[in-house]
Amino acid sequence: MRWVAVAVAGLVLVAACGPSGGTSQSGGTPKAGGTATIALESELRTLDPLDSSLLVEREVFYNMYDSLFTIDPSLKITPGLVKSWDVSDPLNLKFTLQSGVKYQDGTAFNAQSVKDNIQRYLTASTSRRKSDLASVSSVEVVDDTHVIFHLKKPDATLLATLVDRAGMMLSMAAVQKGGQNFSLAPVGAGSGPFEFVEWQRNDHLTLKKNPNYWKPGLPYLDGVTYRAIPDVNAILAALKTGDIDIARTIAPKDVAGIKSDSSFIYRDTPAIGFNGFELNTGAPPFNDPAKRQAVALATDRYEILKNINFNIGVVGYGPIPPSSWAFDSTEKIYDHADAAKAKATATGFTFTYKTTSDPINQQLAALLQSELAAAGITMNIQTEEFATYVQECANHQFQACNVNWSGRLDPDGNTYAWWHTKGDFNDSLYSNAQVDAWLEDARVSTDQNKRKQDYLNAQKQIVADAPYVFTVFGVSAQISSNKIHGFTLYPDLMIRMAAVWKG
Amino acid sequence: MTTYVLRRLVLMVPVAFLVTIGVFMLIHLTPGDPALILLGEDRSPQAIAAIHQQLGLDKPLYVQYLIWLGHIVHGDLGRSITTHQPVTTAIGERLPATLELGAVALIWSLLVAIPLGTIAAVRRGSLADHLATGLAVGGVSIPNFFIGIVLIFFLSVTLRLFPFGGYVPFNQDPFENLRHVILPAIALGTAGAAINMRFTRSSMIEVLNQDYIRTARAKGAPWRRVVFIHALKNALIPVVTIVGLQIGGIIEGAVVTETVFTWPGVGRLAVESIFNRDYTVVQGIVLLAAFSYLIANLLVDLVYGWLDPRISFT
Repeated sequence: MRWVAVAVAGLVLVAACGPSGGTSQSGGTPKAGGTATIALESELRTLDPLDSSLLVEREVFYNMYDSLFTIDPSLKITPGLVKSWDVSDPLNLKFTLQSGVKYQDGTAFNAQSVKDNIQRYLTASTSRRKSDLASVSSVEVVDDTHVIFHLKKPDATLLATLVDRAGMMLSMAAVQKGGQNFSLAPVGAGSGPFEFVEWQRNDHLTLKKNPNYWKPGLPYLDGVTYRAIPDVNAILAALKTGDIDIARTIAPKDVAGIKSDSSFIYRDTPAIGFNGFELNTGAPPFNDPAKRQAVALATDRYEILKNINFNIGVVGYGPIPPSSWAFDSTEKIYDHADAAKAKATATGFTFTYKTTSDPINQQLAALLQSELAAAGITMNIQTEEFATYVQECANHQFQACNVNWSGRLDPDGNTYAWWHTKGDFNDSLYSNAQVDAWLEDARVSTDQNKRKQDYLNAQKQIVADAPYVFTVFGVSAQISSNKIHGFTLYPDLMIRMAAVWKG
Repeated sequence: MTTYVLRRLVLMVPVAFLVTIGVFMLIHLTPGDPALILLGEDRSPQAIAAIHQQLGLDKPLYVQYLIWLGHIVHGDLGRSITTHQPVTTAIGERLPATLELGAVALIWSLLVAIPLGTIAAVRRGSLADHLATGLAVGGVSIPNFFIGIVLIFFLSVTLRLFPFGGYVPFNQDPFENLRHVILPAIALGTAGAAINMRFTRSSMIEVLNQDYIRTARAKGAPWRRVVFIHALKNALIPVVTIVGLQIGGIIEGAVVTETVFTWPGVGRLAVESIFNRDYTVVQGIVLLAAFSYLIANLLVDLVYGWLDPRISFT
């Protein structure tokens, strides 16, 4: 839901220890059969990638629909419904499709289907995928298994975008058959390992095995049930009673207990988002860069990691996390809190920090308040109901606002929207011509080394200017009963069930 | 009597009209933009504008109200902003769960309240009376979410006697359905039980002191018969009033309980819709809640006549 709920989840889940990524060890030979129940932190709103905006929706989609591309646990782009690709001409991307794939309703997946899906995402009035696909001008069908994506301008982020909802392929016959109720009951619409059975809103969503899945032998489970449990304590209770088998989030304080309990599995890997708070550069006091820097200097990231996240995760210095190829490990200009240096930069001012009533956010606010007080900065905490707070932060009606980001596969998704002058998430009203130029160049450049240099430059400048104070990078976690095997952790927080089996 | 009922029904129309204005204004004047909630991490100025236009939120508020009013006069509550589901379907799907929870909670509250209240009245000042009073004070003062959490902790997580939450439809598995409803119903019904018990007790004491009870006793009627036949029926009139209001209030009472127990009812839908600024669904639910109050009040008045034939409807 909600970017912040998501964000809270990012904060809640948090890694430093434990094996990173990859498939869970042990368990023996995969066994077919059985079902698994998975907790979702909030209720879904739609089952159609077209108008989806929630993380929990994507979590379900990845098991029902196939995307044109997929990722491996190291975030490398790998084949999905696209078998191989040629991007040597940055304006005309040539994709070769998997052959013989059928949607669950029996219709064939082919080049025409790709064209129709992209067309639907680009034109439907309720589509939320338009900005994802803004660089695409048209899709050309060459033959049944070949398409060419014609672009308006080079777009280095497109393949990563096509891993997510904009690249999910649906049977157009199923979409038409579903009509106005399609987003509530997408029967037979995907080509993924599981197919839709029923959705009893506010209670459960059931998927069953797709017996004709195109990847041989998969999936192992007969079905998957999702239950929306919007409270981390209730999720833990449900794990303990056996009502659910797998969760993505529990409260950080409970992680140690679960780790020491042999009937559960806990693993985590660095996630792709960032956590912290934004400062409004368009209004006093933070139109003064020195005051922003003073706050960034006085913030003790290690204390936050220890007290709020129970040392799950790592401290964060910039927008791009360690899981990314564009991560800058040298960027530590605001490492340990330095009250003296903060005082020398700016002190004796007051500001208001907006946050939600979530208990973890409240604890974080109180901790920040005391850290900043040591540098002579007075921070008032304003707690708001979620929708009000979102509106005020989005409309620049704040001095400081606690907003986290769930993260995107490509570094562009963690930077452009937030700190480009025209970015959709530039709540801080940050504007720096050089940063704009780097971020624009990284979008169109096809040379990964050049892109990396652009991101390193942009990160340095953004961190130094401090329109956002980065605190902690979270983790993507698996919390499950020890009967769950074959689980692969991905940094993007998604729970992919095709290869999971129950012992 | 038919005229009376008809007149009461006609009088509901202006009340309902005022309710629609109140409901509409309250939710629309609350800060927060449904477009921002809908878009989440996918927000952009273009997408926000498109949603405002789709939902008619770019029109002046009174125009939006008149459009909505025009639709509800035709029985159309509109479609949910978040799920595009018709509001009547969204509420209709969850109403059975809420009604079941409300009914079981009410049965629980009466099963506790009437016997305990009667015993407390008959044995005034005894240990049983003090115990019942103590329970009532506890029942009223402990919030139902706390009762819920305590029940979950002991009976569900520790002893594993009951599931920690969720719902199984009755027609799917009657036994599981009952197992799921018990804890939330106790959590929801306990406050009502305490109130009903106190009302039964005080009303019973008053009735037991009346002349006709003494007459019945003097004529040699057995004590048990006097208490349960002569006294109880008359003592229940104030209890019926309060129970009637409780029935009307099932939906808002269920808001918290349904959230704690992840019970898929109207209460939880209301909470979610408010957080999501799903205007149409919130409006639909508040209208339903208001109507259930009006209808419950009418039913209470009719039950009076049955309990006390001296009350006539003119």
